[in-house]
Amino acid sequence: MSDTQSFSGGIVVSGVRRAFGTVYAVRDVSFTAEPGTVTALIGPNGSGKTTLMLMLASLLRPDAGRIRIAGHDPLTATSAVRQAVGWMPDVLGSWASLSVRSTLETTGRLYRMDRMTAAARAAELIALVGLTELADQPTRVLSRGQKQRLSLARALVHDPEVLLLDEPASGLDPVARIELRRLVRRVAAEGKTVLVSSHVLAELDEMADAAVYIEHGVTASTDRVAGAKRSARAWRIRSSDLLGLEHALLSIGVAQAEITRDRAELLVAVGSETAAAELLRRIVASGLPISVFAPAVGDLEHTFLDLSRSAAAVSVTRAPITTMPTTSMPITSTPTDSISIDGDGR
Amino acid sequence: MSAFWGGVAVILSLELRQRVRGIAWYVLLGVFVFLVAIVTVLLKLAFSFYPTGGEGVGDSGGASGGGAIFSAVIYFVLLLGTLVAPALSGTAINGDRDSGTLATTQVTLITTGQLLLGKFLAAWLAALAFLAAALPFLIYAAIQGGIDWATMIVSALVLIFELGIVAAIGVGLSGILNRPLFSIVVSYLVVAALSVGTLIAFGLGGVVVQSQVVGTERTFVNEPTDGSAGSELPVNPDAPMACGPPTVVESTVPRFDHFWGILVANPYVLLADAVPTQFDTNSYPVDLFGVIKMGVRSVQIAPDLHPVNDYCKDFAAGPNAKQIINSTAPGWAVGMALHLLLALGSLFWAYRRTRTPSGKLPTGTRIA
Repeated sequence: MSDTQSFSGGIVVSGVRRAFGTVYAVRDVSFTAEPGTVTALIGPNGSGKTTLMLMLASLLRPDAGRIRIAGHDPLTATSAVRQAVGWMPDVLGSWASLSVRSTLETTGRLYRMDRMTAAARAAELIALVGLTELADQPTRVLSRGQKQRLSLARALVHDPEVLLLDEPASGLDPVARIELRRLVRRVAAEGKTVLVSSHVLAELDEMADAAVYIEHGVTASTDRVAGAKRSARAWRIRSSDLLGLEHALLSIGVAQAEITRDRAELLVAVGSETAAAELLRRIVASGLPISVFAPAVGDLEHTFLDLSRSAAAVSVTRAPITTMPTTSMPITSTPTDSISIDGDGR
Repeated sequence: MSAFWGGVAVILSLELRQRVRGIAWYVLLGVFVFLVAIVTVLLKLAFSFYPTGGEGVGDSGGASGGGAIFSAVIYFVLLLGTLVAPALSGTAINGDRDSGTLATTQVTLITTGQLLLGKFLAAWLAALAFLAAALPFLIYAAIQGGIDWATMIVSALVLIFELGIVAAIGVGLSGILNRPLFSIVVSYLVVAALSVGTLIAFGLGGVVVQSQVVGTERTFVNEPTDGSAGSELPVNPDAPMACGPPTVVESTVPRFDHFWGILVANPYVLLADAVPTQFDTNSYPVDLFGVIKMGVRSVQIAPDLHPVNDYCKDFAAGPNAKQIINSTAPGWAVGMALHLLLALGSLFWAYRRTRTPSGKLPTGTRIA
């Protein structure tokens, strides 16, 4: 059942590649975003997130690979994809001399709504994104955050099945961010597919069901993501008795090197959720007053940072291999090494 | 099909609201009306110095100035329309791209064809606003009398056509070139090349290619009574007049007749050429269109390289304006076809460049 669903709806991307001239913006991206879920698209600046979004929004042709949006191919069934997709770009553009209301009405008309439907939908969306007071102002007077809300409303005009949000939270105040999160969750609850890219990972943590990590135009494999998730991470412990806490930790068997002091809190590297639970149980058992015991970074951020770190590590460890014959290593060991590596590989 | 035009209409109204409507636009129209008013008053004043109902020019309305005012206003609209249209249409696509509204329009159900057509129609309508603003003056000229219905209708149609051409070229170039400023400048250069460039090319071509003329002349001379050689001047009143011997006169003439084809692409010439000419009793054109038409038609006639001028005989007068116009080839249809090709070509090129999902992109382009 879930198999047919993944083919008929949501976003399915496999082996997508896109170059601009000789520069590859997206090299090999594959992922699936299921209907009814919010998927986070995570990657550093210039990793190809926006290029990928443009391809999903049917604006850019991939050089290779396959994209299905709600079951349609953007290249052959462009208008079906456009009917299904709501796209909120990372660039804030609006028709400067049109009012908020007529911007949304015009967008509705561009989606072939009749005048009445478009007007009704515009009124609905203005209330939804909280621009009621500014509804009849020209969009040029809007602040960055207000334009961001207008852009979100514009992406929702035709009630799309698939919502692509490129940096939706930038420029929003905390209240608007919470509203955005609530809105995104509600859209997903209606069975829509949502793909969100953002730099604010803590925020994505709170709204995303799944995450796609993309770096240098390549999606991280599920193995690597799982590995990164499992790796040791820092937990934040707050206690009124910081000195006692440190002693307790040392006596429990935590190495001194794994403890860092961060203002009125201690950061402790812990290998897994189970280890963290065990650690907490033992500190509490020692009778210390503990007010905070939480991961220092969110899941997504932890995974993201670990992935970037391991990517850097890979490139570092690769470097000596090429220089091996010239280093102090015995020449005879080189063939043995390479054989053992080959053996591991197979 | 109706869904297609529905989409075009949405883009059209969006463009007009977004780009055209504004205080600056009305100021521009106001200045235009003011200028046309001045031209009309001055022309009316100029024609009031001619005696009405006199012989010659007065008979078919020329003296009342109706034809002259009408043609001058039409030309004025053409001038200002072609000057303003590129500014309005020259950023239709790349300007939207810069302000981040092109991509958000393209992800909707609007097709590239609808987008381009809507933007073109908006630019055309904006240019036609100048014609609408000039309408009172055209009506005034018509009331003055002496203008043929055919002249009015044909000149207005050609004007509307030419404004459409400039609007299409502007929209096309804004889709072809990435930078708004650059596409506006190139649009102006195209307009200048057609309006002024053709004249320069025509003039230079004619001057560079010259032909040798070997003419024969015979003039009256005083038959000297004393048997000495005759002289033309001073005339001896006592002596009888007689025909001198034929003399050979050599000179060169510029060969404009080889280059008249260039003028076909000039919008002003094209307009004049297309309008059916009215003549007065002297077979002379009554309006500016006719005068220009006569000028451009007469350059089609190759110069006589071996003229024989016998002033002793009653030599025939050259052909009059009516004869020139009736004996030479009209070029306006070719010119309009050329313009249409240019306009459609640039729109098509823009279509190829704006189509999404886009394949190849020029370096430095950002889609959204």
